[in-house]
This record gives sequence, structure tokens and C-alpha cells, in this order.
Amino acid sequence: MKKNDNSKIFLIMVLPSLISVILLTFVPFLSSFFIAFQNYNFHDLSNIHFIGFENFQAVFNDVNFNFLRILLNTFLWVIVSLFFQFVLGLGLALLMKKPFKGRGIYSGLVFYPWALSGFAIGLIWAWMFNGQFGIINDILQKIGLIHQNIGFLSDTRYSLMSVIIANIWYGIPFFAIMLLAALQSVPLELYEAAEIDGAGYFIKLFKITIPYIKPVIINTVLLRTIWIINFPEMIYAMTGGGPANSSNILSVQMINKIINFLDFGEGAAIGIMIIIIMSIYIIIYLKIISREELAF
Amino acid sequence: MKIIEKFMKFIALMLYLILAIIPLYWIIITSVKDIKEVFVFPIKYLPQVISFESYRSLFAFTNFAIYFRNSLMVALTASFGALFITMFSGYAMSRYGFKFKRNILISLFFTQAIPSFLVLVPLYTMFAKAGMLDKLPSLMILYINIMIPFSMIMAKSFFDRIPISLEEAAQVDGCSRLQALFKIVLPLTLPGLSAIFSFCFINTWNELFLAVMFINSDLKMTIPVALNSFISKIGVGWDIMSAGIVISLIPTLIIYAFAQRYIVAGLTGGAVKG
Repeated sequence: MKKNDNSKIFLIMVLPSLISVILLTFVPFLSSFFIAFQNYNFHDLSNIHFIGFENFQAVFNDVNFNFLRILLNTFLWVIVSLFFQFVLGLGLALLMKKPFKGRGIYSGLVFYPWALSGFAIGLIWAWMFNGQFGIINDILQKIGLIHQNIGFLSDTRYSLMSVIIANIWYGIPFFAIMLLAALQSVPLELYEAAEIDGAGYFIKLFKITIPYIKPVIINTVLLRTIWIINFPEMIYAMTGGGPANSSNILSVQMINKIINFLDFGEGAAIGIMIIIIMSIYIIIYLKIISREELAF
Repeated sequence: MKIIEKFMKFIALMLYLILAIIPLYWIIITSVKDIKEVFVFPIKYLPQVISFESYRSLFAFTNFAIYFRNSLMVALTASFGALFITMFSGYAMSRYGFKFKRNILISLFFTQAIPSFLVLVPLYTMFAKAGMLDKLPSLMILYINIMIPFSMIMAKSFFDRIPISLEEAAQVDGCSRLQALFKIVLPLTLPGLSAIFSFCFINTWNELFLAVMFINSDLKMTIPVALNSFISKIGVGWDIMSAGIVISLIPTLIIYAFAQRYIVAGLTGGAVKG
């Protein structure tokens, strides 16, 4: 009797969350697979019908789109951003590991980008990269690295690099926060034993610290990669993917198709490509990880 | 040797600090410059005079006060809503054992990997059919929904840390299950719940694409939608834009300043343990 009573309360407590997630996340997620195979343009709603793989073909063959370039951009955007976010975030976490005066305030001042919107940060960096009045042009000229202004966001040679730099800046706090917490969980005795053996800083780092926090590294890298693949806000704010697709990635192109062209079919098709790429990545990643784990 | 090491560490920490601060410093300085000073070369790193001209133009040329109110209403409603719903769900997930619990948890983690822009199209058509486009309550509902998985997982982990013996003791003393929850458990999880609220507020305040897609009329725009419209709006230059950006950052920075410790503890708790 008592148990029955409990399960009723439990149902009432859990149902609102479950219903919401099923209705507004799972159902739309599944139906986006149908939309991807339909001619579904909001300008032409009377003419919705199944067209097989035409949306996908349209994405591959779009002359204004250059699919291979955008695929390459997407990989560069993810890998280069992730690498520097991780290395610089780990560096910051290592610097902050031992307590020092004012560490609380310091962490507040270096971690704040984490709380701000990627869109607003993108706008700020767009202003800093501005080709006329941008602070970055000015600083580089003062140091003597360049002699005349560069249109970082309007020049096809620099646009991708510029958005990646902004993304690296934005992501350092995430890794620093996560890795700092992990570093503080490493038992000090491990270091003491190594110090008796005369181990130097880098030996301790690579033989003790990194192996110990490896599970956290694996988790955070996986989470962050998925997150960066799905992070169009910053590029959308800085370049919109341009000029001439030079900084365009899949997620940004999906947003462009949906918001600017109201071509829901092609947008959904790109979304499915993103999901496929993400799934392949996750499968390979987990395979490599477990193989490594087996080697231990 | 020790001193050199300390000095190098100090320099490195300073470099990180300067790099972190520059963008925020630069957007604030731009927003309080005299408009003529925003567009001059060479660039002035310290304004000659502090001027709030950009802010005045922002509120004169656009309905920014209304955008701000809309954003605040949507973010507050969504955050309280998500907190209220997931408080109970998280508690149930923590306290009751049942058949599909593991599957539900895994599905929740899975939805975390589905960004809202991937389901933009089906949601849009769904809400269009229901005549719910261009309405702030629609945004509130959608925002509550996108915050549910993460908040529920977080709430569960907070409740997991409260020993169940406390409630059993209260029940022995004649409290009902719900009374025990409200009188004993919730006060103890208050730091955790405020972390969930802060996290929801920051995320919903910042949300862009759902809002851009769903909101059309000027008087219903939230701040991100407004900033997005400024990009192509004639007469809005970087002076006005910078003022708008700075105002958009203030609420999240305040929440961050108060709740940073709790949020960080909540975020890292799961990842470090797992």
C-alpha cells in the first residue's frame, strides 16, 4: 500500500519534466528527419511534399555554398579551437592550483567569459577585429607586426583565423574551471613520493598529474567538442560565415538557411549531416578511449 | 631560482588576466566614449571625457527599455519555472527507485547533445500551427524546456548528497513525505537550487536563435534579438551597439559574481566525480 502511494507521488513529480522533454525535444528531433526529406520552404507552404534526397543533393551541389570548403572549415573550427582552449585552459588551471593571495577575485576576473553569451562575445570581437577602428589592428601596428590595417573579418584569408581566435578566448575558462577542480583532487602524497625520487616539474606533470585527471580530461574534451560543433552564435555574430564562405561552418549555414532563406528542408538536411558527423565522432572517440583504457 | 619561478608565474597569471579583461574593458570604454572619439584614428585607449551619449541614443532611437523588460521577464519566468519543475523531478529521481530510471537519465544526457537550433524548424512549424508565434509566453515555455534536462540532472545530484535518514527521522516525527521535503531537504539544498537558478538565468538570458526565429514584432524582442537586428539597422553604429552590448552583459555578470562559487561547484561536481 505504502509503496503504491509513493509511486503516485513520484509520477506526479517526474511527469511534467518528461512530458515537456518528449513533446518539445524528442518529437521535434525525430520529425526533423522527415522535414529533411521534404520540399519544405516557408515561402511556399502550399507545396510541401516528399522529395527524397533532393535537399541533401542541393546542399552538396550549391554553387554558393562550396560544401567541401565548409566541411574543412568545420573541422578546423573544432580542432584548432579545441586544442588551444584545452592547452591554455590547462595552463591557467596549473597556474591557479596552489593558493595565492586574491585567488578568489582572480578566478572571478579570468573565468567571467564563461557566463556571457557567445553572440555578445562575438559582437565584441567583431568590433575589436574591425578593419578601420579595431583595437587589434592598432595594437599590431604599434608593435610593428603589420604596417597597414587588415580587414580581419572582410578578408577571406583571415576571417576563419579571426573567429577561431575569438572562440579560443571564449572557451579557456571552461577548461580552466573543470581542470582546476580536477587538479585539486590529486592527492598530495603522490607528489611527495615523486619528489623524494627527485622528479622535476614536467615529469610530475606528465607522470602523475595528467594520468590522475585523465577521466576528467576525457569527459571535458568530449563535452566541449560536441559543444563547439554546435556553436554557431559566435561566427553568426562576427562574419555570418562570410566573406564568400571563408568562415562558414555547417551549423552557421544551417542557421542561414533557416532564418534568412526560410528553407526548412535544406536546413534540416544540414542538421542531419551535423548529427551524423557528431555520432561518428563520438563513436570513434569512445573506441579510442576504451582501447587506451585496455592498454593500461 | 625560487624567486625567478615565482616571478614567471606572476607574469603568466597577469598575461591571462589582461587577455581576459581586454574585450570587456574595450566594449565598456567604447560605450562611454564621446561619439566622435569612437571613430578616430589613432585609437584612444582612455577616453578624454566620460560621456553617456551612446546610452542616451540607444534608449532614444530604439525601444531598448522594452527589450530589457522582455528579456528579464522571459529569463526570470523560465528560470523559476525550470527550477520549480526540476526540483520535484530531481527529488523523485534521487529518492525513488523505479524501472526506467537509468533509461530516463541516459535520455536526458542525450538531449543535452541536441542543440536547440537543430530542432528550430519542427518547433517553429509546431508553434505556427498552434498560433503561438511572436508571443513571449511561447519563448518562456521553450526556455523552460531547454533547461529541464541539465537542471534535473543537477538537482538529482544535489539531493543525492542529502542523507535520506534526515527525512526518515522527520517522518517518524509525524511529517508527511512532502512536508519533510519542504521543511528539511529543500533548505539544505538551497545553495544547489540557487546554482540551478543562476545557470538557467544565464542561459535563457543569452539565448539567441529560438528568440530570433519566434519573435518578429519590435515590442516583443528580447535583447539578443534586438542586438541582432542592430547589425543591419541603418543609423545604429558601434557607439549605440556597444552601449546595448554592455547593458546586455550586466545581469549575467551580476548573477555570475554572486553565484560563481555555487555554479562552479555544481558543474565540476558531476564531471570530476564521473
